[in-house]
Amino acid sequence: MMLEGRGVTHRFGGLTAVDNADFHIEEGEIVGLIGPNGAGKTTLFNLISGAIDLKSGTISYKGEDITDLRPDQISHRGLARTFQTPKLFMDQTAFENVRTAMIYGNPDKKFRYKDAEQAVNQLMAQAGMLTDRNKPVRDMSLSSRRRLEIARALALNAEMLLLDESMAGLNPTELSQSMKLITRLRDQGITIFMIEHVMQAIMGICDRIIVFHFGRPIAEGTPEEIASDSTVRAVYLGS
Amino acid sequence: MLTSTIIEERKVSLVVIPLTIVALAIAPSVVSGSQLITMITVLQFATLTLAWTMFSGPTRYISLATAALFGMGVYTSALLRDSLPIEALVLIGAVAAFVLAFAIGLLTLRLRGVYFILFTFGVTALIRSTVQWWESTVSLTVGRHVEGATNETVYLLMTIIFSLTLVVAFLLRNSKTGIALVAIGENQDAAEHLGINVTRVKVLTFAASAVFMGAAGAVMATRFRYIEPAIAFNPLISFLPVVMAIFGGVSRLWGPILGTAVLIVIQEFLITEYPFWYLLLFGLLLIVTVVWLQGGLVELVERVYWWLKIEWIKMKMRVKMRWREWREA
Repeated sequence: MMLEGRGVTHRFGGLTAVDNADFHIEEGEIVGLIGPNGAGKTTLFNLISGAIDLKSGTISYKGEDITDLRPDQISHRGLARTFQTPKLFMDQTAFENVRTAMIYGNPDKKFRYKDAEQAVNQLMAQAGMLTDRNKPVRDMSLSSRRRLEIARALALNAEMLLLDESMAGLNPTELSQSMKLITRLRDQGITIFMIEHVMQAIMGICDRIIVFHFGRPIAEGTPEEIASDSTVRAVYLGS
Repeated sequence: MLTSTIIEERKVSLVVIPLTIVALAIAPSVVSGSQLITMITVLQFATLTLAWTMFSGPTRYISLATAALFGMGVYTSALLRDSLPIEALVLIGAVAAFVLAFAIGLLTLRLRGVYFILFTFGVTALIRSTVQWWESTVSLTVGRHVEGATNETVYLLMTIIFSLTLVVAFLLRNSKTGIALVAIGENQDAAEHLGINVTRVKVLTFAASAVFMGAAGAVMATRFRYIEPAIAFNPLISFLPVVMAIFGGVSRLWGPILGTAVLIVIQEFLITEYPFWYLLLFGLLLIVTVVWLQGGLVELVERVYWWLKIEWIKMKMRVKMRWREWREA
């Protein structure tokens, strides 16, 4: 088991954003997390990545309890994420963005500048980003920014990626490129857990889908099962 | 900040830093007594501004605690000047400032933006009031006399402290920690998620930068000679480094130093030549900088440099074309 949550709960004041949620992700899976706005999907990601603290419950990653770890400690274990609105270093180039992750995300390798440079170039070539290498993030398109955020997460030597709506706002060509990239990453052995509203992507590449509503999973299954599930239809379309 | 400009800055600095230190070392035998005093003031504020920029420059956390940290050094001297040599006072002042900055750092962990600014300003006021209260009710003194040191001694010590600050600032900018500081300033959430222990980097850098402020305070106390809380913890000492750093340009190592030197020389000139207009002209100058030159003096220097370079290339091409035309004709 790659990732497991038990009784995960978080409240903002009186609002229970994530309510006693159980979930698990197996190694090598692409799992989609869907649900209406305000269902608590992004809060769940924030809890997993350590950005906010759990009120109760536990989260374990590869058998290790990571509930009380800080974000930097969690990312050192190979669990990396992207953000709904990309959180990039806007005044830096694409290269510098990835280099920071490469240098700090691999504490055991103790990168020197030159080694890091080579590793960054290799990674950017893999992600198809070499043409944007020296562009400041400010001048990059949304799709390039989203792709850069994935490249930066990969630089952490990631074994699992949490992707928060990494396909929102992309045009059809960019969307299919992005789907191909994610499938390719999975084939390289990286486990993917993704929040997505683009149904075409969710249905096209996910092995399994978890439906979130009012802070907890209400349905789970293959894309076909979810598409025909009556509770899911009720939540999305009204009964 | 683009990689290429950083590399260029590194090359330039490797030449200019040793030259600066040598120039400062031989200055006392060249300049007059009053010029030496001006240079001491420049060194004092250059050290404070540069140390302030170490932390506040890349992280964009604007600290107004400089006066508190500088004041720690000043009061160390005021209390221990009679019993210890000045070199020991410098070390103790540095350690005292480090400890205070470490504590402030731990207290402000969760504060960002304007809340951090207000907190650091508040801490400085709190410390000033506490010392004032202590002096008037416990030690029963209003102010303290500090035995003076010669201008040459003060100058020498300030040169050593400034040179150390400069070298450390340079190394920091080109280090792994430097990369983390810039990342924190750009986007702290992202920095955390890329494996940077944000708390440790912030607190340690802030405390390390305070070492130079405390050391400078310990030396300068022997020049002030009369110390009271309002002098040691003067809020202007918090504000001026911010003004000087912005005036010079925070994005380059040399910005804060250039800003300090130019501002202090202008200030001295205005005070002696136009004593009544001094503050008005000084204010106008700062407004012009903030409105038209947000990158500071270094930006102006760089713009002129690139303009000259481009004009030079244009001229070379023009000459080449004329030559070709002339040959063909």
